[in-house]
Amino acid sequence: MGHHGTVELSSPIRRRRDGRYAIRLDPNVRAVLANLAQQLPVALEARDPTTRRLFPPAYPGAAFEQAEQEYRELVDTALVNHHRKALDVLAATADADTLSEEELNDWLAAVGSLRLVFGTRLDVSEDMVPPDPEDLAAAEYGLYEFLGELQYLIIEVLAAELPERGRPDGAL
Amino acid sequence: MKVGPSTAIGARQAQTAPVEAERPSLDESPGTDTPWLVIVWNDPINLMSFVTFVFQKLFGYSKEKATKLMLDVHHKGRAVVSSGTRERAELDVYRLQEHGLWATMEQSS
Repeated sequence: MGHHGTVELSSPIRRRRDGRYAIRLDPNVRAVLANLAQQLPVALEARDPTTRRLFPPAYPGAAFEQAEQEYRELVDTALVNHHRKALDVLAATADADTLSEEELNDWLAAVGSLRLVFGTRLDVSEDMVPPDPEDLAAAEYGLYEFLGELQYLIIEVLAAELPERGRPDGAL
Repeated sequence: MKVGPSTAIGARQAQTAPVEAERPSLDESPGTDTPWLVIVWNDPINLMSFVTFVFQKLFGYSKEKATKLMLDVHHKGRAVVSSGTRERAELDVYRLQEHGLWATMEQSS
C-alpha cells in the first residue's frame, strides 16, 4: 500500500455545518479531473488491459475456475456500472463549489479507480523510485501522485464522520 | 439506476441453485459447513488510510480493528477480513472489489 501524500494546513476539502462539503480546487485541476473522468469509462467499456486491477479474481486458482467464471459473468457488468456511475458524477460535478456527502463518496471512488489504472500503467511498486523528470512517464507519475493526495484529503474528511468505535453489527 | 450487489447476488441464488447441486466436487470438499474466508491482499496502489476507511465503512469495524487489519494486509501481505457462508463471502468480496480493493475468497482448511 502507498503512504499518504502531503497535507496542507488548510485542506481544500472541508465539511460545512450544513453537512455539505466545500471544495476549493484550481480550475485547471478541475478540468483535468473532468477530462480523466470522461476518458476512463471508454477504457472500462473496452476492458482495456490497464483496467484489470478493477476486476480482480474472486476465486484464485485452477480448482475454482468454474466458480470464477460464474462470478465474473455475475458481477462484471455491475462493477463497470458502479465505477462508471462514480466517474460520471466526478465529470458532472468537477466544477462544483460544494458537494453532498454522496457526491464526495463518488469522487473518492472515481479518484480511486483512476489511481488504480495509472498505477497499473506505471507498474507502481512500494519501493518505486519516481521516474526521472525527463522521462515520458514523469508527467503521468505526477498525476498519479496528485490523485493520491486528493484521495487522502477526501478520506480525511469522510473518515471523520465514521463512528470511531464501529457499528453494532461490526463488533465481531 | 444504482446497480447494487444485493440485486446481483440475489439473482445468482435464484438462477443457479440447481446448478450448484450438480457440482458436488465443489460443494463437498472440504465440506459445505466449512466457512469461507474473505481475504484482502496487499497492493502497492491503494492508500493505507483508504483501506482502513473501507473496512470501517463496509464492515462497521471500529477504527482500531480496521487499522489492525489494514496493517496486517500491509505487513503480512494479506488478512482475513470476514468469513461466513459462500454467498456471504461472495457478497463481501464484491463489495470490497467495488471499492477497488484486491479481495478474494477461499474455504478455510
